[in-house]
Amino acid sequence: MKEKMKEETTICKYKWFWAWQDDKEEAWLTQMSQEGLHLASLGFPGFYFFTAGEPTNYVYRLDFVTDSKDYQNYLQLFKDAGWEHMGHMGGWQYFRTLAGEGELPEIYSDTDSKIQKYRRLLAYLAIFLPIMIVVISGGRVAPFFVGVQVVCAVFLIVYIFAVVKLFGRVRELKQV
Amino acid sequence: MELPGNLVKYLPLTETTAYILLALTEPLHGYAIMQKVEIMSEGTVKVGAGTMYGALSTLEKEGLIVKVDEQERRKIYTLTTKGRQIIQAHIHRSAILVRNGQGL
Repeated sequence: MKEKMKEETTICKYKWFWAWQDDKEEAWLTQMSQEGLHLASLGFPGFYFFTAGEPTNYVYRLDFVTDSKDYQNYLQLFKDAGWEHMGHMGGWQYFRTLAGEGELPEIYSDTDSKIQKYRRLLAYLAIFLPIMIVVISGGRVAPFFVGVQVVCAVFLIVYIFAVVKLFGRVRELKQV
Repeated sequence: MELPGNLVKYLPLTETTAYILLALTEPLHGYAIMQKVEIMSEGTVKVGAGTMYGALSTLEKEGLIVKVDEQERRKIYTLTTKGRQIIQAHIHRSAILVRNGQGL
């Protein structure tokens, strides 16, 4: 457990990253720590809480895991390997560790396992597709419901874009 | 060395998988495997925590390793007979490769 000083101030920042921009998010969090703002916790999607301190060479890595029954074993393995769990947002798990000399610490040491991370995310997203289709194709029972359908249709467009982008990342990784 | 037909699909193993199976000739938990692999491979193979977690789940699901114990949220695994047959066959194949490369 990390020790926190009493007078630490918490700073909330908003920044949006799409699901396929996890490496950009990692780089941003790493950059923030180099400027002395260290991730403390996560709020609603897009909201990050930082504590101010000395610039530190933390490296942040994001994993995607939704398996709750094995979650404690999962966290223990990362802890043993030197990763501090900073919290999660949905299935996204935020880890950090101190960067030593030489190569950057990674949670995935090969391409196959990194592809698996995006496959898990895609499998998770697949759950929402039938829900959206049912809502959008449902009968127009009330004016309120039409509004829900419009919102859902907008989500569907973003959703399709996200899935295409994520498959793109998997393809990119396969070419390495 | 003859491997039962249904096990041939596992070969060749990736270097990471081969080392994980080799490490599990004794019961170990995830992080202990990571350390042992790094030492056995003389630093040539380092397994990340995410990669290790995924590999253990997959290998357990495929019946190549089995959980024998759990201590303080650490699952301890060891090789199954199936896992042993597969790593033996992989080592046999690798030895042929090494012999071919010795004159280089």
